Amino acid sequence: MSLDIKIAWRNIWRNPRRSILTISAVAFACMILVFMLSFQFGTYETMINSSLKIRTGHLQVQADTYQDKRDMRLVIPSPSKVGKILKNTSGIAAYTFRASAFSLISSEKRTYGALVVGIDPGREAGVSTLPKLIREGSYLTEKDRDEALIGRLLAKNLQVKLGDELILLGQGRDGSIAAASVKIKGIYSSGIDEFDRSSIQIPMKNFQDVYSMRGAVHEIVVIANHLGDVSGIKTALGKSVAELNSKKLLVTLDWQELMPGLIQGIKIDLIGGIIFYFLLIIVVAFSILNTFLMAFLERTREFGVLRAIGITPGRMTRLLLLESLSMTALGIITGIVFGGLITLYFQAHGIEMGGSSELLKQFGISGKMYPKLSLLSALAGPAAVLTITFLTALYPAIKIRRLKPVEAMVYV
Amino acid sequence: MKKWRLMSFVGSLFLLIGLNQDSSALDPQTLVKDCFNYMRGEASFSTIDMTIHRPDWQRVMKMKAWTRGESDSLIIITSPPKDDGNGTLKKGREMWMFNPKVNRIIKLPPSMMSQAWLGSDFSNNDLAKTDSLIKDYEHRVEGIDELDGKKVYRVRSIPKPEAPVVWGMLKLRIREDLVLLAQHYYDEDLEPVKSMTTSEIMLLGGKLFPRIWVMKKTDAKGEYTELKYHQLEFKRGLPKTIFTLSNLKNPRR
Repeated sequence: MSLDIKIAWRNIWRNPRRSILTISAVAFACMILVFMLSFQFGTYETMINSSLKIRTGHLQVQADTYQDKRDMRLVIPSPSKVGKILKNTSGIAAYTFRASAFSLISSEKRTYGALVVGIDPGREAGVSTLPKLIREGSYLTEKDRDEALIGRLLAKNLQVKLGDELILLGQGRDGSIAAASVKIKGIYSSGIDEFDRSSIQIPMKNFQDVYSMRGAVHEIVVIANHLGDVSGIKTALGKSVAELNSKKLLVTLDWQELMPGLIQGIKIDLIGGIIFYFLLIIVVAFSILNTFLMAFLERTREFGVLRAIGITPGRMTRLLLLESLSMTALGIITGIVFGGLITLYFQAHGIEMGGSSELLKQFGISGKMYPKLSLLSALAGPAAVLTITFLTALYPAIKIRRLKPVEAMVYV
Repeated sequence: MKKWRLMSFVGSLFLLIGLNQDSSALDPQTLVKDCFNYMRGEASFSTIDMTIHRPDWQRVMKMKAWTRGESDSLIIITSPPKDDGNGTLKKGREMWMFNPKVNRIIKLPPSMMSQAWLGSDFSNNDLAKTDSLIKDYEHRVEGIDELDGKKVYRVRSIPKPEAPVVWGMLKLRIREDLVLLAQHYYDEDLEPVKSMTTSEIMLLGGKLFPRIWVMKKTDAKGEYTELKYHQLEFKRGLPKTIFTLSNLKNPRR
């Protein structure tokens, strides 16, 4: 076997230019695949984090079935107890409390049904991009009481501006009628129409008063240090939170459960990417097939002689396969190394997105994209290349078996 | 001979069809309209207790209600003290709410009509569109049952083609003396959504009237809203001034 390897290796370098071209083609394809896959994964991570930081967070603790029913009475009765557990869980960057009630919001001219959300202004800043999205006026502070933030579209619908008064009318936790008057302190715009049209934010203390919450909240929103930490946090929290023994069972939901549309969107994009990569590999495979076939045709006399001196067809096939495998291997390793280096460089420095970066910065998303190198992104592409080039090389390798030594030896 | 046989056959067919019609010729549209008018009267004043019951919780609100004609009504809450003074005014298909704490009258936008009224199992629509029963539906009597010696008509109501209603079908149970025993609500797929049943039929306000009304969503266990009439007076008429926004804010009675 080692003799075959030596022979295969020497065979490759008998025509250095062609071999280098083939190896380069493979290397180039692998480099592209490594970089693009890393870029795609990195972009997903950025996309996911940006979407989640607007409202949902990486995880949420809620009362069981609140996610579906959104009933006022499905509360977390003692949020501070859950807060203590969160402080002692690793991987958590920040958390905040929220409570919401769908209510009538009435301005002087119009009335709309919308969500009134009680937020903790200090903690909220660490969890969502809301403070950065304020276009007019200013964000809520700890001292505020009867002030409110409103989305730009909702403000337009209600025909109100900064400083105008809004009446909130809804139902409290105990079923009583909740009514309050608030003044608009800030108007925000997140770029997501749905969000800008559907809610107003008031300080949690005021919310708990008006809606008779008795200190309870509806959601505890958690941001993790890294996207990858989420499942670990979910397991750790899930048990300890359920054991809290409150009257309502508490559950921990991760972002896939909170925003199922997000992961669907990513899957679709991934499939699109995979189709592109597949086509790329096919093109490379054809060019490699071309090279091998040419080599095969050129060396017909050589094969004829080999057969004449007694080499078995099987051994010849193995020889050819070893040749192609060695070239492919060289190409793949080069491709992974260079592709990895390029990816790591941009992972550290980021890629400016050009025109759209200005637009993205407005929404708290930095204009830079960071590719993310991982074992999967480094090896998946090259592995596919390896498989397909191997299959491609099979064709000439098997064709060799049919060679008739006498005819081959005198082939012109 | 043949001709005679054919004619007698046709003649007997007509006879059969004729006999099939109930000789009292009960018109379902009239039945439902009469029931509606009976239950509503020309005008009324009542005091009602509304109990909202959930598996782990219950709340009772007391209220005063005035109705006039087919479409005007005013409801003011009197208890518990936290909610005292809140009111709902309905005129035609429009609804307003008043809250004394913020001292504001708010007109209910169409988007809120399907929301619960004061947190109960009744929706704002249920209150606003009480007269839709006689205006927007075609009725058919499906059968006649007997209960306590009285006939009970089972009526099926299908919305008219262009009718602005949220229900796909209603089923009513009307007693022969025009007391409404039950009303079942079905969605566009004809799946049951909620039901209202009445009970404790007694002399109230001078006629036989159910004292207890219960509204219950079909798939909700242990959840219902109960209305209990304490006082009910049917009147010939009530002043128009009662059903105004200024009266909603400052009820005179």
